[in-house]
Amino acid sequence: MTRWLRDGHGMATLETTLMIVVLIPLLFAILEFGWLTQRWLAQDGVTLQAARYAGELGGDRPELRAYVQEQLRLVGIEPSRVVVQVEPAHAAWREPIRVSLQTDERIAVPFLFATTVTVRSTAVARGELNR
Amino acid sequence: MTQDEGGTAAVTTIVMLPLLLIVLAGVLELGAVRAVAYRAGAAADLATIVAVNDQDQTELARTGTLRLAADAADTARDYFARNLSATAPALAVSVTEIAASADIASFPSAPSLDQRTGVRYDRPTVRLIASVPVRTPGFAMLFMPTVTMITIRAASSAR
Repeated sequence: MTRWLRDGHGMATLETTLMIVVLIPLLFAILEFGWLTQRWLAQDGVTLQAARYAGELGGDRPELRAYVQEQLRLVGIEPSRVVVQVEPAHAAWREPIRVSLQTDERIAVPFLFATTVTVRSTAVARGELNR
Repeated sequence: MTQDEGGTAAVTTIVMLPLLLIVLAGVLELGAVRAVAYRAGAAADLATIVAVNDQDQTELARTGTLRLAADAADTARDYFARNLSATAPALAVSVTEIAASADIASFPSAPSLDQRTGVRYDRPTVRLIASVPVRTPGFAMLFMPTVTMITIRAASSAR
């Protein structure tokens, strides 16, 4: 063992192993969290636009749901995985209307952990429809 | 590789690893600040849009011209606080304080000149400038302040 380490091959193997154990999780952590942040910002952008549209429509309407689905697809998020909430369902003129989007995202970092993170986005606009 | 070189490599690793972790913490914190800045900017945009979308109905019916509601600045402040709430855990002070200290100006009729920014508006406009203190504990490792102030600017015009 001592000879194996002393001739250099052992040391190189040991260093490589240590580096893999440290650098691979680090690299995957950067990739996974970067990806998660990108998804969060994309979902957030859709939520803001959806809140504006909900204000124009005066509540939770089929047009709003279709718009959210289309926008989610455009940013690369599968709409079936997103829970959309609009409160209240019918907003009066000048009444606040809240749109919330929620997705469960799976992240995995080799040698460390794998978990599910809930990504939430909320935006509040105002009812613009004077019924 | 000799025994001496092996020792050098170990020392280099011991010295470089904390440095790498410090740089990593700084990069992560910077990314977090950018995300909060984006969200706060979006909150300000939505607040000013909501404020300008509420027109003075009497003026619109009487003259057919767009004129902002009298409470446009208050509306922008209210909705800025509501939309900023999503980022509250990352902020050093409450969203109510941030919204209260924001410089929000309403320009109900056009043309008008914004004295603070020097911008001339050709349509009724609401302008918002806010200082948002963000918690940045990761910067402590880099001997930087643990609270970073970001300035948000937004303006929306009626059409």
